[in-house]
Amino acid sequence: MPPRVAVPVFPGSNSEEETVRACLAVGLHATLVHWSAGAKALRGFDGYVLPGGFAYEDRIRAGAIAAHDGMMDSVVAEAQRGALVLGICNGAQILVESGLVPGTGPARRPTAAFAPNSPGGRFVCRHVYVKLSISPDRCAITTNLRADEIIPMWAAHGEGRLAAGRQELGRLQRAGHIAFRYCDRFGNLSAEATPNGSPLGAAALTNKDGNVLAIMPHAERDAWTYQQRDGTVRLDARGDAAKMLAPAGGIRIFAGLARALGVKTRALGVMK
Amino acid sequence: MRTQRAYSVELTIPDNEAYTALVTLVRLGIVCRRLERADVWVFEVEEARAEDLEAHVRTIETIFNPNKHVLRALGEPHPRPGEVWIGERDEDAGQPRPGAVREIQIAGRLLEGVYGVRRYKGWRLWESEGETVSPAVLANAVETLLCNSAFQVAIR
Repeated sequence: MPPRVAVPVFPGSNSEEETVRACLAVGLHATLVHWSAGAKALRGFDGYVLPGGFAYEDRIRAGAIAAHDGMMDSVVAEAQRGALVLGICNGAQILVESGLVPGTGPARRPTAAFAPNSPGGRFVCRHVYVKLSISPDRCAITTNLRADEIIPMWAAHGEGRLAAGRQELGRLQRAGHIAFRYCDRFGNLSAEATPNGSPLGAAALTNKDGNVLAIMPHAERDAWTYQQRDGTVRLDARGDAAKMLAPAGGIRIFAGLARALGVKTRALGVMK
Repeated sequence: MRTQRAYSVELTIPDNEAYTALVTLVRLGIVCRRLERADVWVFEVEEARAEDLEAHVRTIETIFNPNKHVLRALGEPHPRPGEVWIGERDEDAGQPRPGAVREIQIAGRLLEGVYGVRRYKGWRLWESEGETVSPAVLANAVETLLCNSAFQVAIR
């Protein structure tokens, strides 16, 4: 029986089907769990993947209502017991609002935020690259990655700028909470490569124990060869439907989750 | 000479966001019967132009839509009892924000004589009809749900 992961769906979530598809591709048994199913329906999974979107229409703040939803009671409890949790975009915002990342304060008392983009608070939809900025074994979900590995993704958010007090920001950096940083396709960090004004180019946070990863850009939207933007991988696959439909790029994040949950399949081997 | 003018813009149609916030606060154990939400705009303006400001603000569609909003001039640029204003830390710096000014320019209405604009989300909590919640209850609601102090400030 493959490891079971839940993909919680709040009113306003999106990309949940793409997220499930990416999980299935790496050998996970993924299940959509709607908010109407109740908090109990989320208990007992091996992992959780919170998809993107606009849960509860981003009322009050992005992720704020969902973070206090009964569904998150289960996710918070399981995460505190060591279950793996991955949050993507709005899912990442929910994890920050719930206090699971960076995890430097009590649950439901966030010490950071993914705040409105700078400048101007405008929504950005842009292809980006992120570079692993921690040791791969710092976070369970990144142990399959190489040091400094670069992964293509799509940024699509209006509130993705990491915000924290100056002291807290320094602490997050020193303690290895900033898991990924925006870069160009060659791995160079710069303000131009950062779509939202995030300090330090921060794109993702992990918690102290490394079992929770909150990442703003969408890995699942750049997870197949036909979605590759830079063309090199896609050009190689031209004329070959199987290659074109093969996993690539952002699927590495899901492969990391699967590997951390004990999946050993040939499929993981080709996802380099 | 500069002065401040503050306006609240509230929905005249049912406010789903306020409803969701109320349900969540009650779920979190905060005793609150009713909750009002408003956009609060605080302008720093030349005194000579202050009297005309409200009429100008009413022409800015991104701030005020007469089909669904009611705009009220606030006597003082401070929250009332039972009320908190939530703003971004950057916006609390007391300096004009290019983003906010640009937003007004995009709407095609240049407000001359306005030096700064700050926008807050105002929440007013009521314990019962005619009685707002205590400062302690308001503080609990702010810390628990309404404000993320990592990037926001709460003005009470």
